Amino acid sequence: MSEPQRPHLIKKDSLSISGESLIELIRGVHQKGASLRFLARGISMSPFIKDGDIITVAPAHQSPVSLGDIVAFIHPENGKPVVHRIVEISGSSFVIRGDNLQKADGLIPDSNILGIVTKVERNSRNIYIGLGFEKYLIAALSGRSLLTSPIHALYVIKKTIWRGLEKVFL
Amino acid sequence: METDINLDSCFKPSNDVVVREVMGKILIVPLTSGIGDLESDIFTLNESARSIWDRLVKGETVRAVIESLSAEYDNESGEIDRDVTGLLKELVQRRILEKITNV
Repeated sequence: MSEPQRPHLIKKDSLSISGESLIELIRGVHQKGASLRFLARGISMSPFIKDGDIITVAPAHQSPVSLGDIVAFIHPENGKPVVHRIVEISGSSFVIRGDNLQKADGLIPDSNILGIVTKVERNSRNIYIGLGFEKYLIAALSGRSLLTSPIHALYVIKKTIWRGLEKVFL
Repeated sequence: METDINLDSCFKPSNDVVVREVMGKILIVPLTSGIGDLESDIFTLNESARSIWDRLVKGETVRAVIESLSAEYDNESGEIDRDVTGLLKELVQRRILEKITNV
C-alpha cells in the first residue's frame, strides 16, 4: 500500500464556479443570511457588470426585489444561474433581461430568484450600478433596449418619436 | 479559542461556514462579516484530509477516526494520531469545525 500524503487544509485565493455548483453555494450561503461574493462571467450586463467583475449577491428575502434590481436567478430554459436586471414586474413573476441583450429572458417566477446584486467591484474599486431611484430609469431604458449599442438605441428613440408623431398628426 | 483535542469528542461543521461538495471535492466557504467570498477566502482538503473529514462529519469520535485509519495504514510511530489531531486543531482554530459532544 502506498504511503498516504499528509492531511492538510488547502487555502485557495479564488475559485471559478458555475452552473449547479454555484447555485448550491449561493443557496447555502443565503440560508445562513450571508451574501456571496464571486466572479461574474459574460458581457450581457455590460456596462454595469463586465466580464471579470466581482459581484456580491445578497439573499432576496433581506429586501424585497423591485424594478431595476440586478438579480441572480435560475434561468428556466437551461437551469443555469444568470445575473440580469428586472425590467418589469407581473404579479409574483418578473421580466428579466440583460442590459446588453436585445431579448428578455422571459417571465421568471420569484421562486427562481436567488438573490440581489448589491455590489460590483472592478480592479479593486466599487462600480456604480444605480441602486437608488435611478434604477427605475435604468430598468425602463434596459426594457426598451436603450442600454445596448448606441445605433440600436437611436433607432428605438427614433421609432418611439415617430409613433408619437403619428398619433398626434395622423 | 480552545484547541485541545479530546479524543472522545465529536465535531461538526460550524455555523460560520458553508460546506459543499463541488466536482468531487469538499469546498469550505467561511462566512466572514456576513459574506462568503469565493475570491479570497475558501478552503478545500487534500485526499487524506478528506478521509479524516468524512469520518468526523459522520459523527465518529477522534479516537474512532484514528483507530480506523490505523487499521488501514501503518501507525507504529503515532503519525496518524498527530496528523488527525493536527488537522483538527487547524479546522477548529479556523472555526470550520466545532465540537458537538464530549462523551
